[in-house]
Amino acid sequence: MTDEVLRLLLLALQLGFLALLYLILFGFGRSLLRDLRSAERQQLASRTGIGRLAVLESPDDEPPAGRSISLGPINSIGRNVNNTIYVEDDFASANHAMLTFRGRSWFIEDQGSTNGTYVNGHRIDRPVALSYGDEMVIGRVRMRLER
Amino acid sequence: MHVTWRTVELRMLLPLVVLVPLGFAITYSVQADVLAPGPLGLAVGYLAIMLGAHLVLTLSGHRGDQLLLPLVGTIGGIGLIFLNRLPQDLAGTSAFGVQLDMAATQLVWFGIGVVSMLAVAIGLRDDGLLRHYKYTWAMAGAALLVLTFVFGTELYGARLWLNVGPVQFQPGEFIKILLVVFIAGYLADNRALLTEATARIGPIRIPPWPYLLPMIAIFVMVMLMVVIMKDLGTALLFFGIFLTMLFVATGRRSYVLIGLLLFLAGSFVAYEAFGHVHDRIDVWLNPFANPSGPAYQTVQAIYAFSRGGLFGDGLGRGLLPGVGGSFPAIQTDFIFATIAEEIGLVGAFALLALALLLVFRGLRVAILAHDDFSAMLAVGLTASLGLQTLIIVGGNAKLIPLTGVTFPFVSYGGSSLLASFIVVGLLLSISHRSDREAARQRAGGAT
Repeated sequence: MTDEVLRLLLLALQLGFLALLYLILFGFGRSLLRDLRSAERQQLASRTGIGRLAVLESPDDEPPAGRSISLGPINSIGRNVNNTIYVEDDFASANHAMLTFRGRSWFIEDQGSTNGTYVNGHRIDRPVALSYGDEMVIGRVRMRLER
Repeated sequence: MHVTWRTVELRMLLPLVVLVPLGFAITYSVQADVLAPGPLGLAVGYLAIMLGAHLVLTLSGHRGDQLLLPLVGTIGGIGLIFLNRLPQDLAGTSAFGVQLDMAATQLVWFGIGVVSMLAVAIGLRDDGLLRHYKYTWAMAGAALLVLTFVFGTELYGARLWLNVGPVQFQPGEFIKILLVVFIAGYLADNRALLTEATARIGPIRIPPWPYLLPMIAIFVMVMLMVVIMKDLGTALLFFGIFLTMLFVATGRRSYVLIGLLLFLAGSFVAYEAFGHVHDRIDVWLNPFANPSGPAYQTVQAIYAFSRGGLFGDGLGRGLLPGVGGSFPAIQTDFIFATIAEEIGLVGAFALLALALLLVFRGLRVAILAHDDFSAMLAVGLTASLGLQTLIIVGGNAKLIPLTGVTFPFVSYGGSSLLASFIVVGLLLSISHRSDREAARQRAGGAT
């Protein structure tokens, strides 16, 4: 093989390397675009609302453990059936707590319940701001605020 | 067991089977002046590590983001091609009677890094371990910092290294992750209160003092790192991560503005107090004043960028590795200058685009996260990768003063590689959990 042929061959390989790099980049770009489109569809189909309440533990099975409840801006929680979130639990009060979305954050306030409302293991005595991922206990029902 | 095929991941990993051996072959052939594949074992080893990681993720039923591994694999593959192309006696290890040169050492670290990534991605089933022990992690970070201060070795004016037996490592890389975990836990617990501004200093509204004080403590800690490590790059990185997370959590521009002003003030103090910081800034402002003295690296890097031009000199043809016998820190701090010289603006741009896509993907993991802690963690980790790339590339191109941070997945160095892979492992674990959660919501009787 002459030097000239080797030189040309290497030049071709160099260009091939760059071309392949761009093909890979193009592939990533295509995957990303496809992903964005499907995310858009999912968003339109399902994700409305400002948050969800995942039920982690519920001894009397109302609401059942594993359910994810979608939330409006104002949610009353308690044993009275007229509450937005009806909790059938002997340790919950009729009007137990209020879960509200104000401004940019979620707040929970105890409504003078007998057994109290717990946030991340602490009993609350005034309205408390919540982050997504925080856990609440109402009676014996354990729930988590989610996006 | 239900297996979900990670088809996108596999499809994006497959081009590496051509790219990496091709890069090895070209660089070897150019240097040896014959057409030969070069050290095929290294290329095959690298591909085996990446495809093996894909296989393990698939078999474990992992639902994490499928583009993270291919992006990291491509960036790392380019890095390894260039580390193999550089003179192999620049670095290396001899342990347990085995002598490894630079590229082989890096490949071993790739293996260790990927295994750690998989352990974190698969083993970390919920975030309790990170979230509830955030103060413990913060203490661990502080302890590492103190150890570095007491036992650290000084290199190029910065105290960054710690010797543990035969292994030398950079604690800063791991302190970075611990810091992100702590800030994420802290912000997730206090986000609502940091957003409500009550106190005021002059025209600027600030959050209530009890919530502000820990933030100031973090700031002081970061500034202490500058004093202890005497390294502006690491400080800029840590502080950038902190400000990014604070901004994302609160949405307040005033925090970022105050933070940047404080950083400028801190940098000015460092400029006045430490000689080597002073030198770095002078080199940045006027490199051609003393091109063979302290500004040698910067000036040579500028020439390398210029020689490379649009399409580059070609793989293996760059002059930077050979200038003046050898070029200090070419395998770590100046790897980007070498890459830009050999594959030009076009190739360097592709590498930066891959890094940008990695950041994009990390932020997507944050957006899809189902709780604040995971979201903040993903933002912080992504910011750490993105800012680090920005700082070192900016330093190479004389956009900002040169500081010695590594190019994630590209630069030579075990600590950096291991830490970057742990970051990706955490991102994978977060996206796995949010995907599982979303599937549960869709299936589990949403009302």
